Amino acid sequence: MSAVETELPRTESDPRAYAEALRIRVQQEALLRARQERLRTAWGRLAFAAGVLVAWELASGRVMDEFFLSRPSAILTALWEMVRRESLLYHLQFTVLEALAGYALGAGSGLLAGFGLARWESLYRVLEPFIVALYGIPRIALAPLFILWFGIGIASKIAVAAVMVFFIVLINTVVGVRSAPLPLLQVARVMGASEWDLIRKVVFPAATPFIVAALQITIPQAMIGAIVGEFISANRGVGHLINRAAGFLDTAGLFAGILTLLWVVLLMNHSVTALGNRWMRWNPRVRSSPEGM
Amino acid sequence: MGGSTGFVIDIRSVYKVFVPQGRNGQTAHVALQDVTLRIPEGRFVCLVGPSGCGKSTLLNMIAGLIRPTDGTIWYKGRPLDGVNTDVGYITQDDNLLPWRTLQQNVELALEFRGVPPNERRRRAAEYIARVGLAGFEHHYPHELSGGMRKRAALIRTLVYEPSVVLMDEPFGALDAQTRILMQDELLRLWEGSGKTVVFVTHDLVEAIALSDEVVLFSRSPGTIKRVYPVPLGRPRDVFRVHAHPQFPDFYRTLWEELRTEITDLGQERRPV
Repeated sequence: MSAVETELPRTESDPRAYAEALRIRVQQEALLRARQERLRTAWGRLAFAAGVLVAWELASGRVMDEFFLSRPSAILTALWEMVRRESLLYHLQFTVLEALAGYALGAGSGLLAGFGLARWESLYRVLEPFIVALYGIPRIALAPLFILWFGIGIASKIAVAAVMVFFIVLINTVVGVRSAPLPLLQVARVMGASEWDLIRKVVFPAATPFIVAALQITIPQAMIGAIVGEFISANRGVGHLINRAAGFLDTAGLFAGILTLLWVVLLMNHSVTALGNRWMRWNPRVRSSPEGM
Repeated sequence: MGGSTGFVIDIRSVYKVFVPQGRNGQTAHVALQDVTLRIPEGRFVCLVGPSGCGKSTLLNMIAGLIRPTDGTIWYKGRPLDGVNTDVGYITQDDNLLPWRTLQQNVELALEFRGVPPNERRRRAAEYIARVGLAGFEHHYPHELSGGMRKRAALIRTLVYEPSVVLMDEPFGALDAQTRILMQDELLRLWEGSGKTVVFVTHDLVEAIALSDEVVLFSRSPGTIKRVYPVPLGRPRDVFRVHAHPQFPDFYRTLWEELRTEITDLGQERRPV
């Protein structure tokens, strides 16, 4: 009997059964570790948020002037007041409508224009410097112009939101369409694909990672467009609420407005991410992305 | 003109001149020079030659993806004009659509060709089973191994039963063992099918193991140096091709011929 055998007597009985037992144990341990990791992260987040809120509440009025900083409890009260008296939902509906309509308009036209330009090489070459130049303008600077053109109603805010979204979607779509590898297109052609087949079954799916990324990036952009439009001139909308709270030096009201926007953008972001994940089940990189909260 | 020659592919004094894309002021270069090749129906032909000799270019021309600068390619008695959807084309990369499952990838060409869904599913399932991929129908390409992806690329082309199959170094990127398995798989699918295969490779052993004829190209500008009939009978055993009594001599002949194309690169460069 050698030393090795006496050290590991288990292996003498049935190595295969022992290996199977080992396999199950390692697998269970891995699952357990993953669950603990997730739990730890969730608790960590909760602790961080609670810590910030408590520190804020305590610091306000002691370390810092409450006038500038407000405090979480006051913000909650202000939020409740807004919901009750000033009908926050009434204002919210305009802001959301403007952002969503602008988003749809900007994304839709950006997609169409992007596809058109990507398929029409020579036109793209002509227009490219102009697109890049327009993209380079801080698009927020266009807001006063749009209010001049479309009035102080929701149309001007939709236009600002749309222009915030349009160029990003356009450029990403062009890049995405061009990312379809040439050999793939050639093979599909030999297989008998028509031009329409190519666009629908090869080019568009190849472009989806780029398009989904653009659709995600531009959600807050649309919201920025709508809010800035409301800042400049409006008598409705969350932007208007925030502006008015600032006018009354009502810091709590101001934070309440910001908090509302935060939730709306989170919600919109979440829906687009969910949609994107469904479109891109085939993409291993997207699949491993965190699944929200 | 002479359409009824009995050759599926009839390449007549084809020249191809390329202008390099992207940069200005680059000189055009001759990729193929006076290439004439006739391939009868049902033949398995390998094109071998040093890299950059234009063999892939020739394949692309038979597929109708690029046009000859001069000369004509006759396909089944008619001069080629535009994409040749009568052939099957298998590239070095498997080029599976990553957003489609194995089954959906195999059905792709049938979709393009307007085959009804039930028929599509039936034919795809048949080919998937033939190469031992049953059970993986709903896997995405990134979930399959290299060999499985290559099998998928193979049957995705064969599923619409093209009478001519063009293959551009299809097994080049595989490891040595998987490659031999795939060669065996290919021969089993091909033997008795009556299909014509034009197969580009730079692996001489592969060329000998698979083909009826080896077409040897010179280096750039590509011309056909010689066509060698392969002295091995059929059916072939790719696992034991080295053991065939004719193999060593034939391999040496091919290698000597190819070697001069690879090694004395300096000699033929004429001063301008």
